[in-house]
Amino acid sequence: MNNTFDFRETWLHKINPSLKLLTMIFLFILVIFIHNLNQMILFTIMTMILFVFFTGHPYKRILLFSIPFLFIFISTTTSMIFFGKGDTTILRWGLVHVTEESLFRGIHLGFRALTYALLGLTFALTTRPVYLFYSMMQQLKLNPKYSYSFMAGIRLMPIMIEEFQHIRSAQKVRGVRTGAGMNGLFHLFKFTSIPLLSQCIRRAFRIAVAMEAKRFDYSKERTFYYKIGFSKVDVVFVGYFVVLTGLSFYLAQEFPFFPVTDVRD
Amino acid sequence: MKKGLKLTDILVTIVISIAFGIVYKIWGPLYYAVKPFGLHIDQLIYGMWFIAATVAFLIIRKAGVAFLAEVAASSGEFLMGSEFGLEVLLYGVVQGLFAELVIMAFRYKRYDLLVVSLAGIGAAIGSIFMDYYKGYMGDLSTWNFMLLIGFRLIGSVIFTGFMAFGIAKALEATGVTNLLRPASKEDYDALNQ
Amino acid sequence: MTNIAMVEQLRLKFPGDDSLLFKDLSITIKKGEKVLLLGPSGCGKSTLLQTLSGLIPKSIEVPIKYRNIQYPESWGYVFQDPDSQFCMPYVDEELAFVLENLNVPRSEMPDRIEELLSAVGLRLDLYHSSIQSLSGGMKQRLALASVLALNPECLFLDEPTALIDEEGTKQIWESVKSVAKDKTVIIVEHKIDHILDFIDRVIVFSYDGVIIADDDVNTVFSFYRKQLQEYGIWYPGVWDDYLLSFESNAGHGYNHSLILENFKGYRKKEINVQLDKASALSGEWIAVVGDNGAGKSTLLLSLMQLLKTSGTYVLNGEIIQNIKQLQKEAYFVFQNPEYQFVTNSVYEEISYSLTVKKEEPSIIKERVDELLAIFGLSKKQNHHPYHLSIGQKRRLSVATAFVENPKLLLLDEPTFGQDSKNTFHLLELLERERQKGCIIIMVTHDSEIVKRFATRIWEIDNGKVVKDWKNEHVLHGKDQVAYEQYI
Repeated sequence: MNNTFDFRETWLHKINPSLKLLTMIFLFILVIFIHNLNQMILFTIMTMILFVFFTGHPYKRILLFSIPFLFIFISTTTSMIFFGKGDTTILRWGLVHVTEESLFRGIHLGFRALTYALLGLTFALTTRPVYLFYSMMQQLKLNPKYSYSFMAGIRLMPIMIEEFQHIRSAQKVRGVRTGAGMNGLFHLFKFTSIPLLSQCIRRAFRIAVAMEAKRFDYSKERTFYYKIGFSKVDVVFVGYFVVLTGLSFYLAQEFPFFPVTDVRD
Repeated sequence: MKKGLKLTDILVTIVISIAFGIVYKIWGPLYYAVKPFGLHIDQLIYGMWFIAATVAFLIIRKAGVAFLAEVAASSGEFLMGSEFGLEVLLYGVVQGLFAELVIMAFRYKRYDLLVVSLAGIGAAIGSIFMDYYKGYMGDLSTWNFMLLIGFRLIGSVIFTGFMAFGIAKALEATGVTNLLRPASKEDYDALNQ
Repeated sequence: MTNIAMVEQLRLKFPGDDSLLFKDLSITIKKGEKVLLLGPSGCGKSTLLQTLSGLIPKSIEVPIKYRNIQYPESWGYVFQDPDSQFCMPYVDEELAFVLENLNVPRSEMPDRIEELLSAVGLRLDLYHSSIQSLSGGMKQRLALASVLALNPECLFLDEPTALIDEEGTKQIWESVKSVAKDKTVIIVEHKIDHILDFIDRVIVFSYDGVIIADDDVNTVFSFYRKQLQEYGIWYPGVWDDYLLSFESNAGHGYNHSLILENFKGYRKKEINVQLDKASALSGEWIAVVGDNGAGKSTLLLSLMQLLKTSGTYVLNGEIIQNIKQLQKEAYFVFQNPEYQFVTNSVYEEISYSLTVKKEEPSIIKERVDELLAIFGLSKKQNHHPYHLSIGQKRRLSVATAFVENPKLLLLDEPTFGQDSKNTFHLLELLERERQKGCIIIMVTHDSEIVKRFATRIWEIDNGKVVKDWKNEHVLHGKDQVAYEQYI
């Protein structure tokens, strides 16, 4: 949703969105096969450089977006550290059993989650959804009926959020009190979902009819307002990951900071 | 059923799923807020992340809707800048696929609580499959791993089954879903009277 | 003249309805005609428009049958709701979407976009402007522009101004008149002030979808005035025909007071609306007026304590600081009634707040039955609130406000999009409540309502209440309190 606030356009914005997405998915799979903690950390640093310096957003905002990363890191590491399998006991306290193996494995998972978060946010911050779907129609041959539906849905997002706030206020006036905690959340969900969803259904239906009234025919050839192709930055982007992934693997071999080569053992 | 989904079906599915995508996004911080309590209490609320699939299916009642809904909801979550990043998109694809397979097993002819609960369990299995590779789940101590699976399945039935069914029923009562239902033969026959 | 659209012996039935909407309806539209379809809400005007364009049954599946039908070769359709006819986020992208549908080469698009926007008089600094930042009137003109891209010989306009304020309505019709001179235009509309000089044929439908009149403007308005009034059409002079039938009442049962001083409402920590000093007493009906985005709704939200506020706010001697204190004192009626519905039947909806408080069942029943009768909803008491017509939904949302006899009633454009019949009915109900002693504060764009019902006017400009004056023209408010002296 990067079209809601100001930012500087960088080379990351100019990458072909389909290529960017496919590269990201490839990296996701690649990361699953990294079991060496040293490699994992270096790889995380590499993605962090892109996120911090090249998304074109002010540092204050970058910092703000980074806060949840800390939670992600902690929450991902803890269950593995406390409850993971392992032989070299560090600490045992009731059900909690921290071992050297589970500790490293936990930290490894934390970095892995961090990488996914960084890659994802970098993508979201540098890609306009409209360009993404135009590119997917042109490069990946996605059927226009899906692309335009997605674009229409994304356009409605801020409207839906505003509507949600109206509904909450309106129900407060009626004397609906949802209360705190999990129970309150259920009540909130129950009372707001029906007006919100019924409005969504009606709106979506009307938009679909309006689109067909404007002669939207997804089986025909169509021209495109935005022509999205490839350029030099695409090479730079892919090159960045190829070179630095290689480099991180090399450095992890030669100058490891942790003695662990495979966190699974 | 005619070939493929109509534009209205697709748009309605995607729009309500994106609304759920917003819920999915809010659910993230909630999830990692309860996670540090340990013992997988967080898994009980995991099922919320499959709810778009079953709600959309109960409303539209066509093949492919559950899958599309889950993909759309996770795209919405992803594009809003989810803390889980890219993960949500791929999980969405797998979860949606598993939910769809369960519904397909009933040949898209049943829209009841049992089917959507099973679809929830299907989606949960899909997510566990992903977690197994991504999160070294097999390396948790066995009791802990079983606890996780148990809680996640229970949570799926609660959210993806019961809650989705409740929402769909309440929506049905408002009458908006009539927009999407094909006219019956009786309605056409009435024209000839 | 040749025919451009025609249907013979149309039968149409909505799934689940008990009876046919149209039974053997025939209609023929000639090339170049400007036709206005009138009738009570629910008589099927919009449905007919959708049938004549072919949207039914192609895009909307509704069972229909006809002996013969002719669709216009090229047509464009403008819908009622400005928020649900676009699929793209930006003005240029939306127009480009239509051009793409027509396979227009990319290189020609920018020029075409510029041409279309200037045709409807939509002047923007930047074509790549967010649609959401446009006013309702501008959105509808954009909808018209996107339809013009299709180069239609026939335009279907389905209540394009129903949800638009006066200013926007005027602009929309100006645009239509300038682009549609030599086109066929078929219009469904309740607010017809601005188009009568443009129309050359009026077709009037009855409640059961039968044509009762089909003639030129003068004939229809001379001979069918009574029906038009009955059907809730906003024809010129409808206000004069409408006579206030109840007596004006000097004394009232209660004496409520509202005092505001240095009152400010905040959104995201910024002052969004402020009012230096004002007080009001029972029997006052304050109309809040001002431009779009001036802060009218914000003022009401602040008074209901739905936003953060500061300053002095005293209602009946009690200093108000949060919404809980207002529970039995004040009520806010939102623009969209559906937002406020929380139950599955009309009866439960009215009884909700009493049930929550665990009142005696007999008391609840008595109060609910009374309100159902006053609001003309008795027959609908077991229906789901969503099944009601627009007018009934609005009445239900106001009925829920009256349950606990609020001392302060806040309304955000309650007559918006309503036909004249429902509007008058609603205004009478509010007037009765005012006479009982309620203080009414209402946001409205309708100058007639301000002129004829408000006892007092607050004008908001740029987030500040800049004017506060007594309404001298009010027809029936003989019991005005000299509020200036009250403070």
